[in-house]
Amino acid sequence: MNSILKYTSAFFVLIVLQLLIFNNIEFSGYINPYLYVMFILILPAAIPSWILLLLSFLTGFVIDLFSGTMGVHAFASVMAGFVRPWALSLNVTAESSEPGMSPSAYRSGLRWFLIYTVMVVLVHHLALFFVEIFSLRNFGHTLLRVMLSTAATTFFIVVFDFIRPRR
Amino acid sequence: MNFLLRYKTLILFLILEALALAMISSSHNYHQTVLYGAARNISGFFSRGLENSTSYFRLRQVNEELVAENLMLKRRLEALTSLPQESQGTVRDTVSGINYSYLNARVINNSVNKQKNFISLDKGSKHGVTNGMGVASPEGVVGVVVGVSPNYSVVMSLLNTEFRLSASIARNDYFGSLAWDGTNYRYARLSEIPHHVAVTEGDTILTSGYSAIFPAGIMVGTLTGKQKRGGDFVSLEVLLSADFKKLTNVYLIGNLTREERITIEEEAVR
Repeated sequence: MNSILKYTSAFFVLIVLQLLIFNNIEFSGYINPYLYVMFILILPAAIPSWILLLLSFLTGFVIDLFSGTMGVHAFASVMAGFVRPWALSLNVTAESSEPGMSPSAYRSGLRWFLIYTVMVVLVHHLALFFVEIFSLRNFGHTLLRVMLSTAATTFFIVVFDFIRPRR
Repeated sequence: MNFLLRYKTLILFLILEALALAMISSSHNYHQTVLYGAARNISGFFSRGLENSTSYFRLRQVNEELVAENLMLKRRLEALTSLPQESQGTVRDTVSGINYSYLNARVINNSVNKQKNFISLDKGSKHGVTNGMGVASPEGVVGVVVGVSPNYSVVMSLLNTEFRLSASIARNDYFGSLAWDGTNYRYARLSEIPHHVAVTEGDTILTSGYSAIFPAGIMVGTLTGKQKRGGDFVSLEVLLSADFKKLTNVYLIGNLTREERITIEEEAVR
């Protein structure tokens, strides 16, 4: 029960930070960090995949609702939730496979967490930016936006992973 | 049944993605939905609080803009009062009297980095805002109101790939369609200009007044000199005069005779 409370508060904190602060951060008009993806990343390692998908959808849907981008974030988030189990299992370490634990750099090392985060965030951003533009025109430009935003999002997720409460 | 159980994650994944895609494809009238109206009221409340606490940092720039606009209006007034007495009653309007109403509003939420950018304003239906009103800043055209709740309204930004604006070249009155291509927030394209039209870098682009949204002669931007040819027409790159990253104060422009104009235009077509 305690862990449900923990993840619920993480959900609200990340959504509020995204909407009030991170949606207003723009570097050079292209790069927008999407910190809220962190919620999908920190859910317990052993979470059943169908719950993971539903929670991913919910996260994206709430972001959509408040930023006026109906469905775009929901689509990208479900994509992220779908690849997360692979990202987790593709680079298992002894520590990271503890089922009840939330994946973090603290537990599994910065290198491991970085690879895991980049994989999920990259898939999320690829889906997000290409669904948003809904075409392959300006392909290179969109790809550049994906790369730069992935770097920015990953940076902020790693920073927030360091300062989030342990346990 | 076995099949369903085995692939339940995949099936759920496909269902959720289909749902998201359905939401995206029905999003063109999303800003008028009840659900979004409720969300807008909540997020409008927070955005306004945030805007209130950060707006002081932009006061100098806002002041400079207002002084510049004042100067422009003074010049225009001077030009009008210095006209010979007998010609004073004539204005270029086709209908006499006031055609447009103006309302000021503050930007409380804005973005320039998406393909479909929207702007939130702190005025809503309570203050007389209606769907389809034009929005301009002291510097130039900004967008069109697409959603209204009692206290807030949402504007489709010119920086929205679905936005189209009828604009003309001030020097020779040739008009075309202005749209944003989704890349750089400082530039838009004016297309459908016949290629025999002579243009030079720095030519002023104004609203044409051919749509029922904006009156003619509102500043849009200036030509950069870059152009693309396609068939009988060229499309010209326009440097937008409004800097969308610094929007603070805007005007809502209501066309008082809009209904009448649309009715007669539709009747004529029929």
